[in-house]
Amino acid sequence: MTTDWAKIESFLNRVTKPGRYTGGEFNSTVKDWQNVALKVALAFPDVYEIGISHLGLRILYELINNEPEMLAERVYAPWIDFQELLREKSVCLHTLESKKALRDFDLIGFSLQYELSYTNILTMLELGGVPLYREERERDMPLVIAGGPCAFNPEPMADFFDIFVIGEAEEILIPILKTVQEWKQSAAPKDKLFNDLEKIEGIYIPSHFKVSYLPDGKIKEIRSQTEVEPVRAVVRRFDQAYFPKRWIVPFLDIVHDRVTYEIQRGCTKGCRFCQAGMIYRPNREREPGPIFEELRQLIADTGYEELSLTSLSSADYSQIEKLITDACGCFTPQKVNVSLPSLRVDSFSVGLAKKFQSSRKGSLTFAPEAGTERMRLVINKGVSREDLLTAAEAAFKAGWQKLKLYFMIGLPSETEEDLAGIVELVNSVLHTGKRVCSRTNALRITASVSTFVPKAHTPFQWRSQISIAETVAKQSYLQTKVRGRFLELDWHNPETSYLEGIMARGDRRLSKIIYQAWRKGAQFDGWNDRFKAEIWWETFRECGIEPEFYTRERSYDEILPWSHLNAGLTMDFLRNENEKAGKAEPTLDCREHSCSDCGVCSGLKVARRIAGGSGV
Amino acid sequence: MYSFRVRFTKEQRQKYLSHLELIKGIERAIRRAQLEMVYSEGFHPHPKLSFGPALAVGTASEDEYFDLELTRDYPPEKILESINKALTEGLNVLAVKKILHRVKPLNAIINRASYVMILRTDPRDRSVIIDQLNILLTSTSVEIIRTNKDGQKVVNIRPWLHTLTIRIKDDDLLELEFIGEIGSSGNLRPDDLLRVISRPVEVLAITRTGLWREEDGTVTRPLDFCDKAGG
Repeated sequence: MTTDWAKIESFLNRVTKPGRYTGGEFNSTVKDWQNVALKVALAFPDVYEIGISHLGLRILYELINNEPEMLAERVYAPWIDFQELLREKSVCLHTLESKKALRDFDLIGFSLQYELSYTNILTMLELGGVPLYREERERDMPLVIAGGPCAFNPEPMADFFDIFVIGEAEEILIPILKTVQEWKQSAAPKDKLFNDLEKIEGIYIPSHFKVSYLPDGKIKEIRSQTEVEPVRAVVRRFDQAYFPKRWIVPFLDIVHDRVTYEIQRGCTKGCRFCQAGMIYRPNREREPGPIFEELRQLIADTGYEELSLTSLSSADYSQIEKLITDACGCFTPQKVNVSLPSLRVDSFSVGLAKKFQSSRKGSLTFAPEAGTERMRLVINKGVSREDLLTAAEAAFKAGWQKLKLYFMIGLPSETEEDLAGIVELVNSVLHTGKRVCSRTNALRITASVSTFVPKAHTPFQWRSQISIAETVAKQSYLQTKVRGRFLELDWHNPETSYLEGIMARGDRRLSKIIYQAWRKGAQFDGWNDRFKAEIWWETFRECGIEPEFYTRERSYDEILPWSHLNAGLTMDFLRNENEKAGKAEPTLDCREHSCSDCGVCSGLKVARRIAGGSGV
Repeated sequence: MYSFRVRFTKEQRQKYLSHLELIKGIERAIRRAQLEMVYSEGFHPHPKLSFGPALAVGTASEDEYFDLELTRDYPPEKILESINKALTEGLNVLAVKKILHRVKPLNAIINRASYVMILRTDPRDRSVIIDQLNILLTSTSVEIIRTNKDGQKVVNIRPWLHTLTIRIKDDDLLELEFIGEIGSSGNLRPDDLLRVISRPVEVLAITRTGLWREEDGTVTRPLDFCDKAGG
């Protein structure tokens, strides 16, 4: 069925930001629907401005559209007003390019970036005319597939998906789609497809695993019916990996309104709370020459006035100084701003920021993460109080007056002393500012405090998460202490973080909770003004499931819901790191020191790579 | 530096762009076209690009304008061709003219806008609706309430409506064609006309069909000012 554009137009005037739904952006690809063999809808379960900013989907979109036999189109979560009109006018949720209903695609691929977008997936499937549960979908209906960081523990969404892709999809994507295409042309049942797909690295077929539970609710066994272990997919030559060439330029003011170039993948700093730092190992750098050439092409082709050299820790890219200098030399005269998404806590990073930021009006952000030396050793954030004060001083001396500091509360073994340490650190930075800046009028130190959420495949996966009440108490403490003319405090909604934590380490029994909460109206849970905590807690009560069960501490012998998924990290490494955290012992970056035996390089047959050199 | 006035259309799905989205989109298209713009000084340089009166989201236009400063004296036809190549469907440059004299900004000269609006009505309501619209022309004062962020305000729109033609297009379709005041001397919005109608109507389409200056009975189009002194 073609969704009737005239019908959509009749109500587009009644929604906020109709440009979210029109498509037709520069560089979007519209292929002839009749002349392709395989049609993929790439879905992002949040609004257009967030979804279109996501680099991963841009890569997949181009890779698929580069195949003559295939097409990829985009769809984002429609806002409430548009949802209501789709229902009222009986119009299916459709893609931006051909305005085809989701149910007309062979495959719908969702990006799982954060746990609080799960309910939006159900909204999108329902509005797209696709049965929600895998079991309800016939052979001729779209396959529903997902990837992204949450696919490393996708168990809460297991009942809704046919296939998960664990890890980096760019090299396995086309082989997956070719397998699907062949199967579509055959008469074989879904089982045959699943068995064939399972041979591809990175594929996890949830229906091939049966989970049984003990009377106390813990997992008794996760049994594979095919004896195949899902293993994370990894790009072994990241320096040769595809980067988008037809960068879509939206008209709307999107969240990352710039060309974002991924200069490296993976981070080996080894922060024990950081999931991205664990699941994207090892560190692999691209070569500066090709980066620079591709950026020149992208800027000329898009007309963008800003570019960002992105990665988990861009200041750690071995040739960052040269790259920034070259980029500024080339792009500043063209009135293109160059930026880095994150800075390290040191004066080197401030030096970089001085190169690319001509104005000092904005703020610089540092992430010490914790308030005391001891706590930073626990989480293996190799930053000292002196590092922070030196970096802050360099920033003030260079002319910045606004600094933003990221902290976490609820980290393992946290005491009041650690909270007091946050207050002390913020004040010390302020004193540095007062000492260094000649005029202190515009001086502003913002402490942004989030609640620690333990994630799967990290050394802290066994640790407990603090309760809502504890979060509120810790936040109140900071609210009374971080006060004053030059100070500002940001914090996260305690209930949102709690729900995130439940989902992050949840099991398959949560599918039911997600479905029920969604039925009662939960959606856009990541949006503070849309999040309805009461719906969730009520649903947990009705289903007889204790939320605390999922945020509690786990023992090493407990079977974790994601223990059948191999992210490349050995259990010994994770356990050892967790033990070292207990003793406040650091583990050094394997780029500068010896191998930390995380198991990724040997297990996944991949090597870290420094620009200008070969694999190590 | 060299100044140019550009006439363009904003139609199809691009009519849903807000004024700010349009400005950003055109700015990037000019950069893609490799035309070197003149920028303002300071930490946040902005290209010297100025647009005519904003269109409401959802209103198409066949006659829009912006002024542009470039560092080089490109031939106007080259500017037209290269911007069009860089634009997406729905936005289209119709003409480019070099500004030879100092001219006032577009918003200062334009004081008339013409529109065509298509309405769907119940055929039984048609005569009532036509009567109500005709009262607009025969009365000396038509007061409506406008709501903005500062609150409500009563405005008399009658002096701003210069002509109105009503055509019956189909059983249930009415076409209104009208000319209204626009700019600092008054601002007639297409929606204003609907306020005098007491029966349900559905607006199917609104198109701005022209922008110009009218003074003492003389009509001057924005492009005509480019080679006219003192415009």
